[in-house]
Amino acid sequence: MIEFLQQVFNGLAIGAVYTLIAIGLTIVFGILGIAHFAHGVVAMSGGYVTFFLIEKLGVPFFVAMMLAMLVGAILGLLVERFAYRPVQNAAHINAFIIALGLTMMIDGLNLLAFGPDQMVIRTPFQSVFNLGGLVVTELRVYVMVTTAVLIVAMSFFVSRTKTGRAIRAVAQNRSAAILMGVNVNAVALVVFGLSSALGVAGGALVGAMLALAPGLGESLVIKGFAVLILGGLGSVPGAIVGGLILGVSEALAAGYLSSAYKDVIAFLVMIVVLLFRPEGLLGKK
Amino acid sequence: MSLVKSHFVWPVLSLCALALAPTLVQVPYFLHLGILALIWVIVAQGQNLVQGFTGYVSIAAAGFMGVGAYASTLLTTKLGWSVWASMVCAPLLAGVLAVVVGYPSLRVKGHYFAIVTMAYNLVIFIVLINFSSLTGGESGITGVPKPENFSVFGMAVNFETRIAYYYLTLICAAFATAVCGLVLHSRVGRVLLAIRQNEPLVDASGVFAWRYKMFAFVLSAALCGVAGALYAHFIGFLNPEPFGVDQSLNAILAVILGGRGTFASKIVGAFLVVALPEFLRVAETYRLIVYGLLLVLTTIFMPRGIVPLLASAWYLFTSLFKKR
Repeated sequence: MIEFLQQVFNGLAIGAVYTLIAIGLTIVFGILGIAHFAHGVVAMSGGYVTFFLIEKLGVPFFVAMMLAMLVGAILGLLVERFAYRPVQNAAHINAFIIALGLTMMIDGLNLLAFGPDQMVIRTPFQSVFNLGGLVVTELRVYVMVTTAVLIVAMSFFVSRTKTGRAIRAVAQNRSAAILMGVNVNAVALVVFGLSSALGVAGGALVGAMLALAPGLGESLVIKGFAVLILGGLGSVPGAIVGGLILGVSEALAAGYLSSAYKDVIAFLVMIVVLLFRPEGLLGKK
Repeated sequence: MSLVKSHFVWPVLSLCALALAPTLVQVPYFLHLGILALIWVIVAQGQNLVQGFTGYVSIAAAGFMGVGAYASTLLTTKLGWSVWASMVCAPLLAGVLAVVVGYPSLRVKGHYFAIVTMAYNLVIFIVLINFSSLTGGESGITGVPKPENFSVFGMAVNFETRIAYYYLTLICAAFATAVCGLVLHSRVGRVLLAIRQNEPLVDASGVFAWRYKMFAFVLSAALCGVAGALYAHFIGFLNPEPFGVDQSLNAILAVILGGRGTFASKIVGAFLVVALPEFLRVAETYRLIVYGLLLVLTTIFMPRGIVPLLASAWYLFTSLFKKR
């Protein structure tokens, strides 16, 4: 039983990171209809920036993460303005190809700037608690709390502010929003900034929990898309539920079946969900 | 007459050109790239069946290539089959797998389909890496045999030589292109095009759209299987690396870069995805960055692909002279 709870706890921590990545993907998809494949490498760049700020400038972890989120948001704005906007009226596959190109570019730039070695972001949260046999590392608790805070902050922004209302309007009906005087291009920029900032937070947390390495961006974004499929494309609650399910099922698969095949099992879960609920667990019909 | 002309003149001419190419260019390196490019022509044709005709973007081409490559290799090395027999069997196995995985995934559309097929590719990749008792894991399988020699009209054909292998892949690529051309101009092809344009209408007209989608998906997987087998027996060394998701993305690129159409655009697309990375090797560290940048710029400024762009440029050029 303790063993099971342990795996669930570990799964929830990694699931929190998947959720952060997936929320960024899902708001971009739900509002702009873009499958933002470059989201993962943007998140990784943010992770590298966090690492750099902590190691070279001695900035405390959370401050470094905030600054990296700012850098990530700017990167997101640039990506939207110069790469996606020129093709916003073309077929969706074009935006996807752009995303692939961006993935290669940003991956190459990361490699050039930060080198091919694995890097672990150092954090001050190293203590370990033992709750009746359940090993709870402080870092994992911080990861989950940070994720929860960011999600609440984002929901507050989207539901309570004027900009948030504009975002929701564009998501519901783009043409009507334009007619009501919403600046759709500005909304697209805000959405990309928000999405990239959340992604960067995910990148920094995964860098602290596991490690940063070339290629991790792609694997993160693929997990993020799997979460989207599980929860339903464009649904934020779906991304939360899907992320936690993916994280927990991966951890259970690694613990009880085989750690080499944990990703296979995670994807099988996704395919089974798709068979019975093609619109995702919380997606709309 | 003009219909026949437009359909056959260019294919026959370019086939002749490709057949003569090795006698003109005798640099082994270029011949090597030529063989790879012809293998990619097969992949591009397969990918085009699903992506270009049917409008379903599959990200599993490299996965099915991997299935074909490993199936053919294992049948020869473990079971002692002749290379020819296993090369025929490889696409069948890839096709059977496509039936199994196509059933759940063809129920979903658009981005869902793309992501699910990408998951398949990942699963295949993970299995190839981890099932090392069979696949040799990351270190791979060395000494994949070349096809057995045989003699045609008293002339011995030795597949250890690049030139013989070049013609073998050329025949396969031509065959794949012909099959895809025939499919496109048949009733099946028209249904596939209709699915791309309006799938609910196809269903409403009493046509079982999913059967046609399945056909396209399976044929595409089988073509990728052929390409994988050709690749394995050509390189002689097999590891999972060339069958990852990034290679599937290359297959999508081969279809997009060339532009719409089955013939010239796919050949140009395939040659580009093989040649560009090689060409950019000069730039070394900047290779990924330049390649990515090229992709972004091409999609923004040449959204129709390269062949239609050249065709309209050629049309402008000739009309300039006609007026005088």
